[in-house]
Amino acid sequence: MDYKALAEQLVNKCLKKGAVLAEVYIESGRNLSIEVRNGEIETVQESATHGAGFRVFVQERMAFSSCNDFTDNALNNAIESAIRFAANTTPDENNVLPSDKSFAEVRGLFDPQISQIPMEKKIELAIKVEQLAMKDSRITKSSGASYSEGEGEVFIANSNGLLKSFKESGCGFGVSVVAEKDDQKSTGGEYCSRRFYADLKPPEEVAQKAAKDAYQMLDPRMVKTQKAAVIFDPDVARSVLGGILAAVNGERVLQGASFLRDKMDQKIASELVTVIDDGTRPRGIRSRPFDGEGVPTQRRVIVEKGILKGFMYNTIVAKRAGVKTTGNASRGGFTSIPGIGAHNFYMDAGKSSPQDIISATKTGLLLKGITGYGINPVNGSFSGGASGFWIDSGKIAFPVKGLTVAGNAFEMFNGIDMVGNDLDLNRSFTGPTIRIKLLQIGGE
Amino acid sequence: MNIKKYFVEGIPRRKFLEASLKGGIALAATPSLMMQLLSCKGVEKGSAKIAVDPQVLNRVIQKALEKGGEFADVYLENRISREILMEESKFKSAVFGISQGAGVRVISGDKTGFAYTDDITEEKMMRAAEVASFVAKNGQPVGLVKVKKESRKSYVTVKLPLGAVADEKRIDIMKRANQAALDYDSRIQMASISYYDEVRGRTVANSEGLILSDELPLLFFIVQTLGVGNNTRHMGRERLSRHSGFEMFEEVTPEEVAQTCARESIAMLEAKDAPAGIMDVVMQNGWGGVLVHEAVGHPLEGDVIARQTGVFTGKQGKKVASDVFTMVDDGTLPNFRGTTNFDDEGTQMKRNVLIQDGVLVKFMTDVLSAKQLKMERTGNGRRESFRYIPIPRMTNTFIEKGKDKPEDILASTKSGLFVQSLSGGSVNPVTGMFNFTCREAYLIEDGKKTAPVKGATLIGSCLDVISNIDAVGDDLDFGPGICGKGQIAEVTAGQPTVRIRGINVGGSRARR
Repeated sequence: MDYKALAEQLVNKCLKKGAVLAEVYIESGRNLSIEVRNGEIETVQESATHGAGFRVFVQERMAFSSCNDFTDNALNNAIESAIRFAANTTPDENNVLPSDKSFAEVRGLFDPQISQIPMEKKIELAIKVEQLAMKDSRITKSSGASYSEGEGEVFIANSNGLLKSFKESGCGFGVSVVAEKDDQKSTGGEYCSRRFYADLKPPEEVAQKAAKDAYQMLDPRMVKTQKAAVIFDPDVARSVLGGILAAVNGERVLQGASFLRDKMDQKIASELVTVIDDGTRPRGIRSRPFDGEGVPTQRRVIVEKGILKGFMYNTIVAKRAGVKTTGNASRGGFTSIPGIGAHNFYMDAGKSSPQDIISATKTGLLLKGITGYGINPVNGSFSGGASGFWIDSGKIAFPVKGLTVAGNAFEMFNGIDMVGNDLDLNRSFTGPTIRIKLLQIGGE
Repeated sequence: MNIKKYFVEGIPRRKFLEASLKGGIALAATPSLMMQLLSCKGVEKGSAKIAVDPQVLNRVIQKALEKGGEFADVYLENRISREILMEESKFKSAVFGISQGAGVRVISGDKTGFAYTDDITEEKMMRAAEVASFVAKNGQPVGLVKVKKESRKSYVTVKLPLGAVADEKRIDIMKRANQAALDYDSRIQMASISYYDEVRGRTVANSEGLILSDELPLLFFIVQTLGVGNNTRHMGRERLSRHSGFEMFEEVTPEEVAQTCARESIAMLEAKDAPAGIMDVVMQNGWGGVLVHEAVGHPLEGDVIARQTGVFTGKQGKKVASDVFTMVDDGTLPNFRGTTNFDDEGTQMKRNVLIQDGVLVKFMTDVLSAKQLKMERTGNGRRESFRYIPIPRMTNTFIEKGKDKPEDILASTKSGLFVQSLSGGSVNPVTGMFNFTCREAYLIEDGKKTAPVKGATLIGSCLDVISNIDAVGDDLDFGPGICGKGQIAEVTAGQPTVRIRGINVGGSRARR
């Protein structure tokens, strides 16, 4: 099917049926997922699919519809439903569509090889990684290993004459295992995902990390409730970054629902902290040439040496704020209107090695796992369940589980006094090892 | 379709754990104004019923079992949805969804093959059947199965069908909620009102000769309010959801929902830092049941038991909880958010007592785990849409009411934390370690609820928590939620007021 031509035709159809402005977003794709356990296939799922979303503006009122049936009848019905539905929304002069026809050049988003590699090889990879992870005698059970891949193509056309498309691919594999000792159980899992099949890590590396995460947490101890240094491993970088990401959402800022709402160009973190959002990184798992409404993506500094430098916008919210869109319109697929979201969002690397950070810590917690919702974007409060290792005199002493950590965003950001050099940009929402000088830890 | 789901997200471990290990009422807890509802699918023309020739389904099932396998099913779905968002007193967006498709599944031994199609045509369904049969290599083909119509008892009644409701009525409900929220207190700076409804038409046919169809309405109404105080801000949230017609809003008014939400926003503006460490916790009746949904419910799902990794593996018939603890999953509570007439594999819904007076009685199964465990099918085989395979999921899960008076439970607790509502949480069903985030909580001092405290995390292990519940109230109540386990499902969680001795609370200050 020529989706590009179809997208253009459908824009015209929207206008003919009464829309003043219209945008058509089409996705098509296929996916494959293989799950194995104990050396045998557990599930194989494979499908191809497509769908279209229609955003229409009738006298500055916005509505949207979607459908996955591409017969004329169904498409007409969807467009008419959207136009009819628009009567319910409030007219807003900010309801506009982008017209920027330029592209950001982003290399390495599609690997034509993935679909050429035979299914058997992919099944073998999943079986292999499971086998390798089970090799250690401390590992007693497998929760399963998997391989998955997808290919997709996105088409956006709008009534300002914008017409763009790009193709992307992704693949990944991983394993999850259980270590047991007496009555204790401990789980570990690792996953590697890439744009290109050839870039996947060797299964040995993935298996080893999964197994180690499980067995090294056996025989955990409790510690007393206290304030101490907390070192965040890259595995838990998300718990710090997530709060920043939600709080720099331009719409939240306008609504007053962000703890960073009035902090632009002010110091919000220690000068060791630089946070970047990059939609253009070659082969980046969340890179793309344009955002969810067709605006070119960019590399943006969000926090520079502790100073807040940028909020994120899509076209409508940017107009309302009186700024230019930042290319951060995000879509949850063809069924949703564009929201605001990040691309490859990460904290930049520092100078210390992770080992130096541990050595420099007299007493504290090396945080490897955290549960909960991270930093509350409205008021900045933070609380989570914690597991990892206790550090005594600059050395890892024993594993700890069942602890809590809590604080508030500014206390945490400003308390960052060491930043690691171990940034792995193949993970999309990540950071290096960081140390927060002092944080409340809950235990006995 | 969410194309992102095609790709394994670059959040390596976390994502993988989410998909394979963890249950979690994750979405439900998004403390976000922009909170997305269930992804919108679905479409129109009055009815969501699917007209399909049973002969076609017979042939698709035969094709699916052509290479062998013991069981095959076809699931057809048609969904029409409407979602309207009102924020800052403006109707910002209106989203209409139309989706349809069919999924074909083959079970051969412990293996499952699955494929779906957006087009409900014989050609595309036959193709899906062929792909799904991949797992059943070298088996014996089976003959043509004759599916025959069956019916199931109905637990979902509708007085005002959603398809017949004028959009103005939806808009009016939202305006009323918005006004009530803003009128509640001048410190309510903004309200976000989200309205969602859908009608999901389902047809299930399988190689056992079953064919079933129905139409399931769903309403989901969410109010969030931003309270602004001198030094802090708090986003409150209240939700109302049922499988029901529009009459839901006559039984619970939008004003009540908005006022409950606004009350939380204002109360929490006075919140102080929560204490850290192990303490007694009293949880108010209602949505707090999410704690046992996560901590006990997920580990009782048949898939983790069949894999022999679950924390309750081998514990059937054994004492796992205190005597006062009885836990039930009941998909038949009339019009509840977790209720259906039959699950997505066609199994009749029932009331399943999972733990009776502390003794583990039953696991929750789907077709596959029931077969693997040689247990009955409990009506817990559910799927997010035709794009997903069914897996064991909860429906309406709750702690059965006890004999204690809620006021006595509080009065007999010398000090600790009173949790009025939880955002949500998650569990590792293998180890049983869980976590929850409080939305609204207060200190307990000398048997009385005193100062409000900021959103703390509660953590612990499921076996400990159900052994440490020592008081169960007589005031059972429920709340609606979204459960995520690789795919999302609509559920309710419930409980009477309960007391749990000794949970670790993640506050930001040391205890005094």
